[in-house]
Formats: sequence, structure tokens, C-alpha cells
Amino acid sequence: MTAPSAISSNLLGAIGGVPRPEADVVVDARDVNKWFGRLHVLRDVSIQVKRQEVVVVIGPSGSGKTTFIRCINHLEKIQSGRIFVNGHLIGYRETGGGTKLVEDTEKNVARQRQEIGMVFQRFNLFPHMTALENIIEAPIHVRGISRDEAVVMGRALLERVGLAAKEQVYPNQLSGGQQQRIAIARALAMKPALMLFDEPTSALDPEMIGEVLEVMKELAREGMTMIVVSHEMGFAREVANRVVMMDDGVVVEEGTPDQVFSAPTQERTKAFLSKIL
Amino acid sequence: MARSVGMIGIRRVQLAGFLLLVAFALAACSGNKGSTHNYQWNITFQSIFSPNGSIINGLWLTIGISIVAQILGVVLGIFAALGKMSRVWPFRIIANLYIWVFRGTPLILQLTMLYYAPLITHLLTWPVFSIGPFNFLDSAVTVGCMIMGVNEGAYMAEIVRAGIMAVDPGQTEAAKSLGMTYRQTMSRIVLPQAARVIIPPLGNEYNNMIKNTSLLYVLSVYELFTTFDNYAITTFDYFEYFIACIFWYLLLTTIWGVVQAWIERRFSKGTGQTSAGLSWRERLLSRGKPEDIAVLGGH
Repeated sequence: MTAPSAISSNLLGAIGGVPRPEADVVVDARDVNKWFGRLHVLRDVSIQVKRQEVVVVIGPSGSGKTTFIRCINHLEKIQSGRIFVNGHLIGYRETGGGTKLVEDTEKNVARQRQEIGMVFQRFNLFPHMTALENIIEAPIHVRGISRDEAVVMGRALLERVGLAAKEQVYPNQLSGGQQQRIAIARALAMKPALMLFDEPTSALDPEMIGEVLEVMKELAREGMTMIVVSHEMGFAREVANRVVMMDDGVVVEEGTPDQVFSAPTQERTKAFLSKIL
Repeated sequence: MARSVGMIGIRRVQLAGFLLLVAFALAACSGNKGSTHNYQWNITFQSIFSPNGSIINGLWLTIGISIVAQILGVVLGIFAALGKMSRVWPFRIIANLYIWVFRGTPLILQLTMLYYAPLITHLLTWPVFSIGPFNFLDSAVTVGCMIMGVNEGAYMAEIVRAGIMAVDPGQTEAAKSLGMTYRQTMSRIVLPQAARVIIPPLGNEYNNMIKNTSLLYVLSVYELFTTFDNYAITTFDYFEYFIACIFWYLLLTTIWGVVQAWIERRFSKGTGQTSAGLSWRERLLSRGKPEDIAVLGGH
């Protein structure tokens, strides 16, 4: 698979340049707590992500890292704390002088999600649509741009992720790596201010991981603000501005990749890294 | 390959058995052993090959009523399924109540009660509907059609719900994360995928619907069965007319079987499941089980 070489060096050009977030701090999570029933999965999690920053979240399975990024676009509810994206409180309205959270209307939540791209572990492409249709679906029906405009952008995106030839192909005829690249293109087509990646390479065969990481690296280089939950330490070392280590619902440690990988200060980080490196 | 011959063999045995039964039935009324009846082939043949106006009318009524009632049923079924799965509890209660009542009571009871009770008690008079040339649409046809549709909706609700639940939750999450509203997610992402699961049982439902329109007999709607029944009881030529009636119903359900196979093939696109839609040939020759299909497919 020589796909990585086909990935263009101007990914964000396809959507008209780097979407510029309104605020300097794109994600501001403060003291987020979440329970699944009696299980306390997020304990006072506070993370800030600045514009054009790439944050990689690592940690053992069950540590709450996936749950955390799912809270950022309100696919999961939180019980306390606040998550701001671009300065807007996500998923809730404050009442009682800022002491109480009331879930926001479905329409408002949907509008907030337009600014947040998400890439899933299992791709979740729409199987009843071709690759191109997958990409242009939301721009047309959510953003309301014209079909012609969407097609031009969709084709450009497909070309930049090296899959121009697969325009009319249905997802089930594509490899995992190809599907994930289209899923990334689909999320980018909404021109999001922030991209969330939930273990984007965990469901892939080893030989396909490279082509997906290549697209993600390119995105990072071009200045996309990204939060990536991943076990790909090589990727983290190469592109992350910051690595966040989570365990048991708590942010154990954070710092530059060098700090966290070469000189971890916490025992739990050392234990985790010794298992996977 | 030996297997497939076996399967087709079973079908042939079934067909032979059916023909034998028909032969017995005919022999039973062919004049010997005390029976005085002479089977009048010309009545059956005429009712099949040159049906008169009332038979044609009955045929169209059966087709028309079953299509309208089924469409109404599908629409109601989608809303009832969404209501049943809603996060808003009053919707859940209304949907559950509707499904519970209409699935839990006989259709013939619903037809008789809902049509006659308001009339008898002078609660209301059903209006007569006549749209252009379709002035045969008396109130019994329209109201009966509506009741059949409402009844069907209760069954479709469960089928639609099963279809929606068969769609990977990841699809909803992907749609939501792209900023789609609940309505967009349902109409553009979930329901089109649920359709693939819904369509095979929907085909069964419509097959039932074609036959169940005969219950409109109780409202004196002259659809296919009532028409033939009327001939039979006035002439006492029961076998003659009802065998022709069997032919017409079999024709309708067989044509529907072919249409259904075509629809299922169309909706299997992008799923990689070639067995999701059988060709008419596979449908006729196999019993529709996966192993039969695999054999017929030559795998």
C-alpha cells in the first residue's frame, strides 16, 4: 500500500483554508464529572486546548479518555463541570445564577456539533451512500450549501486524501484505511474548528494504520486543532504539542511528548508506558 | 448440487399434492356417489378468462384498498415506532396504547364496531366520498380502508422498530456529530438503512393485506371475495366461483411476490449482502432459506 504518498500536502485547501476558531482557547473543560450509573468515569477532568494545538490523550482502556472526548461534542452527558468549545458552553444552559446545568435544546446542540468534527474508531460511514455522498451529505443538508458547491469540495477532499478514484464506491467495497480516510474527509467537509479522533487506527489492520496517520499528520501540520485518543505513540511523539495521560477517570499527567514519554513523573504513567512501549 | 435438486424436488411434491387435492375436490362433486352436482367448467373459465364488470371492479377494489391501507399502515407504523422509542413519555404511552389495542383485538371486530357503532348510535354519519370517476367509493370502502390501515399500523410499528434497532448506533452518532438534527438523522440516515430490514416483513404484511381486504365483507364492500361470494350464494355454484376466486387471489399474491423480490434487490445496495434480495427465480424455486440461496447461487 503506497497510499500515503498519494495524500496531498494541501488538505485544508480543499475546504478553503484552515477554519479559524473564534477563541484562542478552543476547548476549555473545567472539572468535568461523569457517572455511568454508580461508576464514576470522569473525575474533575480539566483540559485546555489552544488554537492549532494537537493534544494526544493516552491511557489504559477504561481510563475514560474516549468518554471524555465524546463529552466534548455532547454524545455523552456530563453530571457536573463545564465544557466550552470556542467559548460556548456545550450541551447545556446555566440556570440559577450559573449553579445549575439544564440540557440545551436538541437544535442548539446540533448547531454546536457542526463546529466539531469527529472521527470514530469504527469509521461509521453511511453504508447506503457512496464515498462522495457520505462527504457531501452534511454540507448540503446541515450547512445548506448548494449541491454543486458541495460536490466540488467533496471531490477536492477525496483527491487530497488520495481516494479520488473511489468517488462512486460504497463503503463496504473499501478497505478499513480507505474508509477511515473518507470519514476524516467527511468530518472536514463541515469546516470544523476542532477535530476529535476517537482511537482512529485501533480497528485497522497494521498495514493500513500508516495511511490514516499520514492524513492526520498532514492535518496537524496545516494547523487544525485536534484532540486524538490514540495508542500510536509514534504519532504522539511526532505531531503532538501535548500528551495527556488519563487513568481511572483522572488526568494523571500532561506535558510535551518528550516530558511524558522520556521523563514521566507519575508512577501510573511509567507503568502504562512500560507496558506499551 | 444434489441438495438443490432436493429442494426443488420438495417444491414439486408440494405442487403435486396441491393438484391432487384439487382433483379430489372436483371428483367429489362430479356426479357419482350420491352427489348430484355437475361441475360447470364454463363458469370458472369465464370468471377467469373473461371476467365481467363486477369481478373486475372487485379486483380493482381489492388492489386499491390494500395499497392505500398498506401505505397508511406504513406511515402510522413509522410514527408509532418513533413514539414507542421516544424519550418523551406521553408519546410512548400513546404509541403503546395504540399498538396494544389494535394488535390485541380481531380486525373483524374493529371493522364492525368502528364502522357500524357510530352509525347505529347516530353519533355521526359517514360521508360518501366520490372523487371524479371513482364514485363507487362509498363510505364503507373509505372507512373500511382507513380502519385496515390503522390496524396495519400497529403491526408495522413493531416491524419498523425492529428495523431501527437493527441499525448500528454508530450511524446515529456519526449523523449527530455532523450536526444533524433528530429529524435529519432519522429520515436521511437511520430509516433508509432500517428499510433494508423492514422490507422483507413488509412484503409479508402486504401479502396478508391483499387477503385480509376480504374481511370488508362485513361492511358489504364488493371487493374480490364478496363479489364471488355473492355469485356463489345466489347460484349455489360454490366450487365454480370460489376456484376462480382462488385464482385471482393467487395471481395478486404471486405478482406481489415478484415485485417484492425486485424491491428487496434494489434496497440491498451498499450492504454486500447479495442474499438480501432474491431473484424471482430464486424466490420461486427456493424456500428462501440462506442455505437454499447459497446452493442456487452456485456457491
